[in-house]
Amino acid sequence: MNQVEKIFCPVCQVSFVVGEEKEAGKRIICPVCGAVLVLEKDNTAWIAKRPMDLTPEEEIRMRIENFARLRGYRFNELKEPLVQGLLKKYERYGDFYCPCKIDNIPENVCPCLETRQGSVERNGRCHCGLFWK
Amino acid sequence: MKEVMLYTLSTCPFCKMAKEYFENHHIPYRFVDVDLLEPEEREKTVAKVQEISGRRAFPVIVIGNQVIVGYDEVGIGEALQE
Ligand code: SF4
Ligand SMILES: [Zn+2]
Repeated sequence: MNQVEKIFCPVCQVSFVVGEEKEAGKRIICPVCGAVLVLEKDNTAWIAKRPMDLTPEEEIRMRIENFARLRGYRFNELKEPLVQGLLKKYERYGDFYCPCKIDNIPENVCPCLETRQGSVERNGRCHCGLFWK
Repeated sequence: MKEVMLYTLSTCPFCKMAKEYFENHHIPYRFVDVDLLEPEEREKTVAKVQEISGRRAFPVIVIGNQVIVGYDEVGIGEALQE
């Protein structure tokens, strides 16, 4: 059925089910990483892309707010310096790679894999101190 | 006085806080912003960081022969005391 067709998140590279009605151009949120995505129809399949009408700063701010809300995490005074660090990474390396890790690879795109896999639950915060339990 | 060496990234707030800790306590330290090194030197330094900390994440703080992974004020204090 159309309803259970999964959509691939280009940010966290996980496929998820969209419960709501699908419409071209509609903004949705990846339930795994909080990324803001836009639905598009590619021939017969639905795909999700990163929005082109957001500035990098708007995109990463919305993503981390969504992720924190989805997981029940909070921020503190490290948030602003970390947003700046993420923007610097974007400027230098083309994506929002973790400001505290050397490798600019997909698994380190914020929120990074270790955080998506529960490091905040284990340690009380993510490695950089952006998300806190 | 124990030798203090900080391995840091220029984009990482805890790295900055680690530098400030030693500044504020007037403890001499050396540091290297690993992301700003030239590629060859960077790879060598990252390999070293990985060897001593088991990770490729920052900061890594070396005090004498102790290695502190991440910014941990209690750990820093204890390593300086010993
Ligand atoms: S450690 Fe925190 S700030 Fe760094 S990428 Fe992971 S979630 Fe983002
Ligand atoms: Zn995602």
